[in-house]
Amino acid sequence: MVPEGLEVREEEGSNMEIHVQKKNEIELVFTISGADMSFVNAIRRVCMMEVPKMAIDDVHIIKNDSAMFDEVLAHRLGLLPLVSDSESIDGMILPEECDCEEYCPKCSVSMVLKKEGPGVVYSKDLSSEDSRIKPVYDTIPLLKLKDDQEVELEATAQLGIGMEHAKWEPTTACAYKFYPQITIGEDCQSCQKCAEACPRGVLEFDKKSEKIKVVDELNCSMCKSCFRVCESRTIDIGFDDTKFIFTIETDGSTPPEEVLIKACDVLSEKADKIIDIL
Amino acid sequence: MIPIRCISCGKAVSAYFDEYQNRTVEGEDPKAVLDDLGVTRYCCRRMLISHVETW
Repeated sequence: MVPEGLEVREEEGSNMEIHVQKKNEIELVFTISGADMSFVNAIRRVCMMEVPKMAIDDVHIIKNDSAMFDEVLAHRLGLLPLVSDSESIDGMILPEECDCEEYCPKCSVSMVLKKEGPGVVYSKDLSSEDSRIKPVYDTIPLLKLKDDQEVELEATAQLGIGMEHAKWEPTTACAYKFYPQITIGEDCQSCQKCAEACPRGVLEFDKKSEKIKVVDELNCSMCKSCFRVCESRTIDIGFDDTKFIFTIETDGSTPPEEVLIKACDVLSEKADKIIDIL
Repeated sequence: MIPIRCISCGKAVSAYFDEYQNRTVEGEDPKAVLDDLGVTRYCCRRMLISHVETW
């Protein structure tokens, strides 16, 4: 891949360290040390904007007797998070890359909603032709139907990226912040005011050693409440600009680690393209 | 009808709406219900707290 004469440097990346702090189905929190802000920001932006996921893009309304307008209903359907982990969307391609005229099984999934009133229509009432690609949550209320009202529609879900529309964003909260550095000086009076002032329980008074201790550094928002109440000016809040706390929260459609992996793939693909042109 | 997602961050808050409504009607503290449902950010919490179901 690398053209002749082009030197490949072992980047600072070689001493980059990553520690996972918290991980569940929708949220991933990790710290990166020895990284550059521009690099971390690139990952964040790609996570939000360029990782593909499924969303309803076209709605054909056959019958809608409800009080809700067709456009509003179509918009609500578009915002539904659909399961799009790599296993479910395996083989699915972006509509731009597909050579079909309108829709084909390679680039789209069709869904049908048919319901009679009275009652609330939920996301679970949407039946998909592909058993894997369906709404993540069954309990999302879509519209309400009164007596003798009916709704019948056909929706088409396609892959897309967040750059085009927010409904294709796999992440909800995707952000990083500097790692806080809390220093407590030698002449601390142990007045405990800082521990009381902290709104996030970062500091605690240790009865044994009679000293203020940092118990939850990751939770520090660098609000400097402790700094402001400290009369002896011994506590200081700073940050390490090579260490970051990175949070990825998804809407449930894709596991957060998968979003990160796909984002890294997209980023390295872009880098490869640059090298190819050279 | 409650918006499908949180207007600010995009979390699918409407998925928790029915449970939130049922539990608060029964007299449970909205704060406790939201914490229990895992709606942590204030942008998402206001979506549920301030919503008035009209029709």
